[in-house]
Amino acid sequence: MELVEKILNGDIASAARLITMIENNREDAARIIKKIFYHTGNAYIIGVTGSPGVGKSSLVSDMINVFRKRGDTVGVIAVDSSSPFSGGALLGDRIRMQDHEVDPEGVFMRSMATRGNLGGLSSATRDVCYVMDAMGRDVIIIETVGVGQVELDIVNMAYTSIVVIAPGMGDSIQAIKAGIMEIGDIFVINKADHEGVDAALSDMEYMLHIGADKKEWHPEIFKTVATENKGIVELVEGIDKHRKYLEDNGLKSKKFYSMEQLIDLIKKRIEKRILDNKLGKDNIKKHINSILKKEIDPYTVADMILDDAGL
Amino acid sequence: MSVSPGEYPFVAGRHAIPAIAALWGRGKVYGAGKVIKQGFGYSGCGTVEDLRDFYLGEGAGLTMRGPNLAFDLPTQIGLDSDDPRSEGEVGKVGVCMDSLKDFETLYEIFQGDRDLDKISSNWTINGTTNLILAMYIALAEKRNIPISSLKGTPQNDILKEFVARGTQMFPVDASMRMTRDTITFCTEYMPKMNTISISGFHMREAGATRVQAIAFTFANAIAYFQTAIDAGLDVDQFAGRTTFLNFGGGMELLKEAAARRAARKVWAKIMRDRLNSKKPKNWIYKETGGALAGYWTCTKQRPLNNWMRVGLGAAFSALIGDPPALVPPFDEPLGLGHSPEADQLSADAARIIMEECKLSDVQDVFAGSYYIESLTSRYEKEIFDLIDRIDEMGGATKVAENGWMKKEIARSAFEFEKKMETGENIRVGINKYTEADEIEIIPKLTSMYHSIDTAKAEQKQLDKLKKLKQERDNKKVQSCLEKIENAARDDKVNLIPFFVEAVKEYTTMGEICNTLKKVFGDAMDN
Amino acid sequence: MTVDNKIRVLVSKIGLDGHDKGAMLIASILRDAGMEVIYTGLRRTPTQCVNTALQEDVDVIGLSILSGSHLTLVLKVIELMKAKGVDDKKLIVGGVIPDEDIPKLKDMGVDAVFTQSSTYLEMIDYIKKATGKEDAST
Repeated sequence: MELVEKILNGDIASAARLITMIENNREDAARIIKKIFYHTGNAYIIGVTGSPGVGKSSLVSDMINVFRKRGDTVGVIAVDSSSPFSGGALLGDRIRMQDHEVDPEGVFMRSMATRGNLGGLSSATRDVCYVMDAMGRDVIIIETVGVGQVELDIVNMAYTSIVVIAPGMGDSIQAIKAGIMEIGDIFVINKADHEGVDAALSDMEYMLHIGADKKEWHPEIFKTVATENKGIVELVEGIDKHRKYLEDNGLKSKKFYSMEQLIDLIKKRIEKRILDNKLGKDNIKKHINSILKKEIDPYTVADMILDDAGL
Repeated sequence: MSVSPGEYPFVAGRHAIPAIAALWGRGKVYGAGKVIKQGFGYSGCGTVEDLRDFYLGEGAGLTMRGPNLAFDLPTQIGLDSDDPRSEGEVGKVGVCMDSLKDFETLYEIFQGDRDLDKISSNWTINGTTNLILAMYIALAEKRNIPISSLKGTPQNDILKEFVARGTQMFPVDASMRMTRDTITFCTEYMPKMNTISISGFHMREAGATRVQAIAFTFANAIAYFQTAIDAGLDVDQFAGRTTFLNFGGGMELLKEAAARRAARKVWAKIMRDRLNSKKPKNWIYKETGGALAGYWTCTKQRPLNNWMRVGLGAAFSALIGDPPALVPPFDEPLGLGHSPEADQLSADAARIIMEECKLSDVQDVFAGSYYIESLTSRYEKEIFDLIDRIDEMGGATKVAENGWMKKEIARSAFEFEKKMETGENIRVGINKYTEADEIEIIPKLTSMYHSIDTAKAEQKQLDKLKKLKQERDNKKVQSCLEKIENAARDDKVNLIPFFVEAVKEYTTMGEICNTLKKVFGDAMDN
Repeated sequence: MTVDNKIRVLVSKIGLDGHDKGAMLIASILRDAGMEVIYTGLRRTPTQCVNTALQEDVDVIGLSILSGSHLTLVLKVIELMKAKGVDDKKLIVGGVIPDEDIPKLKDMGVDAVFTQSSTYLEMIDYIKKATGKEDAST
């Protein structure tokens, strides 16, 4: 197939088009992914998460500079939330990454909206990673929405998850509450030229200390000032160190595909097969009417539909 | 509380005698005629040669008291004409100024009885103010004119650039250092030079509410003044040499009038109680007037309606004791530059307001009106509340740089547009009265700059710049740039003398700004 | 989860003009109309703009220009769009555009021009029709 060939050759326009098909949840996208899957597994996937305003985009932009300097090609997936009311989205992560727009061969960036997914990532993100991976990107950076409580998806997708906080934003406390401390392989205190750095650092060190003996990997904390490009090289070295740890312990290949991912995919496929292909909107409306009239209960309807589908 | 004109807190206006007479002197206003006419002469387009020749010919009326210059975008943000980013922009929204050479050419027409010590120059420039001042100083020194006699007004209001206009070049701290340099240098060596013209206009045009526009303007003003005070000046040493441009406006003119009255009170209180000014003269909010109805309210549809809009705004300006300037001329939204025809109508309307209607004969006709007085008090409180909030967040420099002001304004703009969609806000000819039986009226207009071919200006400028860079002493230029770089590293140093030295060697604006960006960082695209 | 053909629009300011009120407003309004808007911020070059359109696979490129440099800059964008094979995307220009320049822009290949005399609803309508995605989800 021509599109597959082009993507494997790194063609940006074809990859961009396939990503649109994936986002639009089109069945032909699944057919192409089935083919390119066998060419994936080479890219190193990094997740960056943290509350809005901590400077994730600037930080990612700086990290890209370091990767580009050592010759790595980079894919960036920047996820922002869709409006629950209109379904539209305002995707502005490119504002902070403009320097890379003149390096399209080296940096392929895609802005994505969550489109109703609550996990902080678009449900298409995994598939978009495959596309960028198959294109031959050496590093893929996923920047999440940053809404705090629902960022856990990233753990299932990235080899190295980076949690970013900024001093004086009450972030450290929030992070602890949200359980975000557990997901970070690396922690970054960005805007480290602001007041409150030491307080944030000691908060973090204390939290990481709790339960540290249970883990083999001890997360490191880095201080950065993304707007001034400070601390970034050290951060990337920290990522390398985590990567080496995963590789030395045979964990990287295990992380490439997890049970959660397969379950997630099965759910999506069931949904698509039954709701899209079999049931249709009109039928659903009919069932709803019957339920409202109390002619039937919702469990019976659901079981009936699944029985019909042979499940 | 009712107050007479000329009394603290100046709610009824700044002087006990009618404002127009106080500001311009009657003879000047009507006698010169063209002072009001043609938007106070604000002009600029193409190369300096183009503009010089224009001023010698049909634009002669624009420069009676000195030029009021509009600069092109590369000049405004410190890029040379040969910078790749300048392509397509050279000489477009104003005149192009790369080096002292251009400055010298333009000011050739200001000699003899119109030499630099006899005119006043107005420069609509912000980020590169100190470079323009350096060129003015260098030119005066070459002509053996003492710089203490130089008069002029740069806009030099960098914080509102961060918020609404986007021509900032350096991060906010470095930008404020430049402002400090202007004020301290001028206070010491150029006592007749205005240092800053603080403006709410651009924020209002960008969608700020009237309270936001006034509060943000004053918060910015406080930041500038505090910077100068922190540099060791007494507020009364420099306050007299600062002005306010204006707050912009809107079509709800009773509210606009009340907001101006509130602004006068707020500023008087800030100056007296917060900045500890001892001279009542400096407590007075001085606005150059006009734009009570705003520019953004003007429509491209049936553009003559704008004359009505702005004319009503001017009439209300008169009623609160401000000059009734009709800005913009009605053809502003057509995007062609103001035509002489539209300027003529603006000037005539101001004359009608003053001479036929005599609306300027009384200072503050609204004083004592329950509606206006209660609204004035409400706005005063809201403005102070917003300034307090900005203080809590760390002051104007903080919220200008971190985007808070910009976000607040964007939200207001969005809310306004939503109300346009629902019809809650009306604009005649836009969202109401647009049916087929309404007639579009398009007057025939001539372009103000029809003699200037801006398409050719860019190439001409590039040729000139290339020649300049070959002919000047490039070793000296390099050494000047090195000195600037070193001086910039020490925050205490005033950079203006270094700029003067550099521009005399025909170092370009772009070269100096790029050198500064190496030290300060680049905030251009934030 | 059903097929979801969202309209994707790039809103970009090219040239040196720093007035971004209009561009930001339009971005918000298109979002509220259910579109996904990629907003680039100030002062993008034609090259950056076209590279972005390519990577983001947008349906529409919207350029906001208020400095009078539209003829020069738009021509560059169109040349680059052709060179990069993305000239199938709709190109719309907004800002302060004199009436006499509108036919010139359309001759170059601009699909639609919106000025101060246009309403947002007109723009939304145009985009929905031009992209053939009037009914966003099926």
